Amino acid sequence: MKQSYKVNLFLYFSVYLLIFSCSPTRFVKPIEKQQQAVGFSFGGPLINFSNTYIPIPLSSLSYAYGLTDKITTYAGLHTTSLLFGNLQTDIGALFLLYSKDRNKFGITANLALQQVYNIRNRIGFRVWPSTDINVYYHIKEKPHYIYAGLNSWFEFSKYRANQEIQPINILPNMHLGFVWNRAKFIHQVELKYLGIGIPNQPNVVTYLGISGHGALGVYYNVSFKF
Amino acid sequence: MKKTLPLIAVILAFSACLKLDSQLFNNKKISEYKFDAYTGQQDFILDATYTIPPQYITLLTLSSQIPGVESQSTNIKAVYIGDITKIATDTVILYCHGNKWNMDFYWQRAKLLANVNGKNTYGVMMMDYRGFGLSDGKPSEDGMYADVDACMQWLKSKGLTNNRLIIYGFSLGSAPATKLTAEPRSLIPSKLILEAPFASSAIMVQDGTQLNMPADYFTDLKINNADLIKKVNQPFYWMHGLNDNFLNYKTHGQAIYDNYSGIYKTKYLISGADHGEIPFKMGFVLYLNALGNFIRK
Repeated sequence: MKQSYKVNLFLYFSVYLLIFSCSPTRFVKPIEKQQQAVGFSFGGPLINFSNTYIPIPLSSLSYAYGLTDKITTYAGLHTTSLLFGNLQTDIGALFLLYSKDRNKFGITANLALQQVYNIRNRIGFRVWPSTDINVYYHIKEKPHYIYAGLNSWFEFSKYRANQEIQPINILPNMHLGFVWNRAKFIHQVELKYLGIGIPNQPNVVTYLGISGHGALGVYYNVSFKF
Repeated sequence: MKKTLPLIAVILAFSACLKLDSQLFNNKKISEYKFDAYTGQQDFILDATYTIPPQYITLLTLSSQIPGVESQSTNIKAVYIGDITKIATDTVILYCHGNKWNMDFYWQRAKLLANVNGKNTYGVMMMDYRGFGLSDGKPSEDGMYADVDACMQWLKSKGLTNNRLIIYGFSLGSAPATKLTAEPRSLIPSKLILEAPFASSAIMVQDGTQLNMPADYFTDLKINNADLIKKVNQPFYWMHGLNDNFLNYKTHGQAIYDNYSGIYKTKYLISGADHGEIPFKMGFVLYLNALGNFIRK
């Protein structure tokens, strides 16, 4: 029954959740020193629309620069968000923490800041820090690799609208992905489990979660190295 | 850089072109109202004991104008259930429906209200907001308030006075019901009833994100029932399903209820009821008795 009330609201409100889920992990493994890359990503959480689960088509652009062989800095512009009048960007850095077997296996971490500013109303500037840790593993001697990781967004507000207490301060996510590394292009497919342990109902959107918690999302990213 | 700056300017210029305000209004246009003959999806269907005699059903066309904004009025449709000649002495429930479709979908609910304290004891008026059903125009927040006020103007012209007007808002309808009780226009409702209300646009957003995110990111809607209720002094009745998987009763309804500081408030939380299931899960008799007691009080 509730679905009938949600028919239009799905679009209206599903976009919001995607603020913290609108792109795959920017980088899992550092690019080479002084190398640059531009990327385009597409995908989002799966929501129920007319009894079919579909991903919200969110997109973003990114740029990365290899500061060293172990540190990659990057910035992203969330293009779908921009269409709604929000300048949403992220800046961050990826650090190689550990590697062995000539980089066949490694552990990396991202530190990033997510910013949103409403251009249309010129209000509502917000910043959320985020961090993730990833493990990657190259398949045989190929440049392609699989990876898995944990990610968290942090909300430091004590109160939210109408003086309600902010219920959650850490939003944990996990991801699993595959990177197909070509000479010039990097293709990346990622499955995310967003909002681990957070009930996804009651809500104005019906997400595909696990036992009523969180939301599953699928993403694709392509980057061009130069 | 010379090429980059114009590109950025173009992106920013187009960046505000999408707004999601209209998505809140899940309206549906039709070619005619069917009311009892309507066979489409409904939350519940009443049996024959609740039937309203045809002479007590009047379809109306009203002029609605957003004050200070519109130079021309918009024709909206409304239905009055009851004896129009007795509005000058009757109590009237002004019913503000939810976001879905049009009055056909809510007809059973309006009919049920026409049975509070006995059949046709009270008049019931329901309207389709602009853009809904056969009402002209496009839905908007300000338009919705103007449309409900247009009904108040009509009721006032028929002799209704403040003390005999009860306003009832369901779901989206909680916005005009609360707004026009807190900031009255043509009439001042004597009592406010909210069924499965939502607290504010911001809480809707924040329930979805879990983040303290401004509603302004995606909407210009200023609906904030949880704040407006602070201005309401009239007796207030809140009903909400404990299983409401659309509007969380804790973050939405409870926030409104807690912020009310008027002369009298009461609530009814219905176990097992989802959004739209309250009359059905509560039981029609109990529902009518509860409302009847509140209105008589």
